[in-house]
Amino acid sequence: MEITLLAFFAVGYFVLAGADLGVGALLPYLGRSDDERGRVLASITPFFLGNEVWLIASAGILVGAFPVLEGELLSGMYVPFVMLLLGWMVRDAGIWLRGRVDRAGWRGGCDGAVATGSWTVVLSWGFILPGMGQESVTGLAAVIIVPAVAALFCAHGLAFAGLRLDGGPRERARRFYGASSERTVYALTSGGMALVCLLAGSRLPLTENLADPATLALLTPSLLVITPVLVASQVWLWRVFGRAPVRSQ
Amino acid sequence: METLDLARLQFALTAGAHFLFVALTLGLATLVALMQTRATLTGSAVHLRMTRFWGRLYVINYAMGIVTGLVMEFQFGLAWNGLTHFAGNVCGASLAMETLVAFFVESTFLGLWIFGWDRLNRWAHLGVLWVVTLTAYASAYWIMVSNGFLQNPVGAEVVGGVLRLTDAAAVLANPAALTAFGHILCGALLVAGFFVAGVSAHHLRKGTGEQEFFRRSLRIGVFTALPALMATAALGGAQFDTAQPMKIAVYAGRTEEVARLQAEMVAAHGPGDYVPPAGLVQGSGTAMMIIFALMLGVAWLSALLALFPWAVRRLRIWHVVLTAMIPLPFAAMLAGWVFREVGRQPWAVYGLLTTEDALSDLSPGAIRFSLAAFTLLFGLLVVVNTWLLARNARQGPADTAVTPTAAEPLPAPVF
Repeated sequence: MEITLLAFFAVGYFVLAGADLGVGALLPYLGRSDDERGRVLASITPFFLGNEVWLIASAGILVGAFPVLEGELLSGMYVPFVMLLLGWMVRDAGIWLRGRVDRAGWRGGCDGAVATGSWTVVLSWGFILPGMGQESVTGLAAVIIVPAVAALFCAHGLAFAGLRLDGGPRERARRFYGASSERTVYALTSGGMALVCLLAGSRLPLTENLADPATLALLTPSLLVITPVLVASQVWLWRVFGRAPVRSQ
Repeated sequence: METLDLARLQFALTAGAHFLFVALTLGLATLVALMQTRATLTGSAVHLRMTRFWGRLYVINYAMGIVTGLVMEFQFGLAWNGLTHFAGNVCGASLAMETLVAFFVESTFLGLWIFGWDRLNRWAHLGVLWVVTLTAYASAYWIMVSNGFLQNPVGAEVVGGVLRLTDAAAVLANPAALTAFGHILCGALLVAGFFVAGVSAHHLRKGTGEQEFFRRSLRIGVFTALPALMATAALGGAQFDTAQPMKIAVYAGRTEEVARLQAEMVAAHGPGDYVPPAGLVQGSGTAMMIIFALMLGVAWLSALLALFPWAVRRLRIWHVVLTAMIPLPFAAMLAGWVFREVGRQPWAVYGLLTTEDALSDLSPGAIRFSLAAFTLLFGLLVVVNTWLLARNARQGPADTAVTPTAAEPLPAPVF
């Protein structure tokens, strides 16, 4: 049960936040002007906070139900995880702060922070995901796997941008779709994200590292009760802000 | 410095930077929720504008709190895997509850509040802010359950070198967690009270065009700060009963008592230095007390003066003092944390696991890199946040758009 919960939240993170990371990484490509980049970011701002907490929840389940493994995993890949956190902070700061000062230079700096931070996060995942269970990848494997993971994030971001934007940014996102519809592409890239997450997670020694039964007897039922509430709150968020795409004025 | 010192410094900076933001967020959320409640119940226009103005400052600050909070969530696993190994069965569960019950709900609902001004029914929008506020409290509670356990490990026993949970109720109702939780909540209200009063006093002194708005705000701030200060002090005093005897003995400078406790510890745990660094413990404890005394004087005087409309309008010297008070509760908060955490040394879990044994096996290069990078980024965030808060506070409520206007479907985020 604990493994299912962990998988649920981790897949949720890669599918939901994977899209806004991809959009962030491709911000300079999708938005060619200050105004366009503003609209591209507006497609993710109501959601990114709600998206990234799926990873916080995954980390919480990991430390609660698999505490020893959490410590070994994070400290074992210390530098990639520190890079992930640094990129995450820089990117979030850029998104939060962009609208705060009405100057082109400020917005440009924030756009740069979003793109640089998103790339740092995406590339860190490229090192971390294949290394689950041991150490982060090096050598030839890294040369192949890291760009492949980054490409998947970008594709997922393009799929999301196609669904949520219009005008120039949407056309630039659609260029890669071929004849497929936005929904098909989004379903495909979401599936890819989920698959990569589950493949990486399947290499973790989870069953061997479960917390003490006395702890789980209380923790697991609590998590099971709260999870539907969490999902319902997210559904509400997407229903309120997810209907209309971001239009140009 | 050794890896241990560097890792401790990194933890202290992460927790300290995070807590600077959290202290204001927790308190300000409560005040904004109360303002919005009044606005929604009575349809009062000035309270609606107050909700938007103070809400904007709240959101600016919240953003930086969450960004530093991300690092906080991962800090234990990264640098202190000895702790997750030894105490994971107890502390891991409360951290897990914090992420799901609090962090997750709080973030989702904050998104709904920021962008939901014109999209949600006004009662739903008010309810959303109360959920954000209460889950922020829940977050503080679960964190204090973890921290309280490290201070005063109850409800668990050591079996085969790791802790097992034996009495969950004892962990959840640990006095070292509950009194500190109350102390922090009231302290956060104190921070917010002085913040609201100080910003309002600035506008009243400058004679900006929003006199009624800031007269009301100043009174809210002052009448929050005084009771919050009294409750903070009472709950702080109550903690002396559950604090480690060694911490209190070192703080009070009772050398004989310190020597006796050191001998006891050596007898129980083998040779070693079990005395926390006296300079930091006494310095931080004393700083907290001095700032308390200062705040006490100003809070009482302010509560009296706030009863006189002429003083609220024109007593410029008082306005200057109130604005100058803004940083003091933050400083007291940080001093309190240093006192609580340094005073527990050399233990990570008091009497059971030393800080040294809690440390992950990290290379000195890795920890130097992360410490430098985090320090740089935290420093930058604190500076940018302070600048933005000051800038927005000075601008006043004139064009306070917490949110986009209704005319555009989902325009650029000016939240």
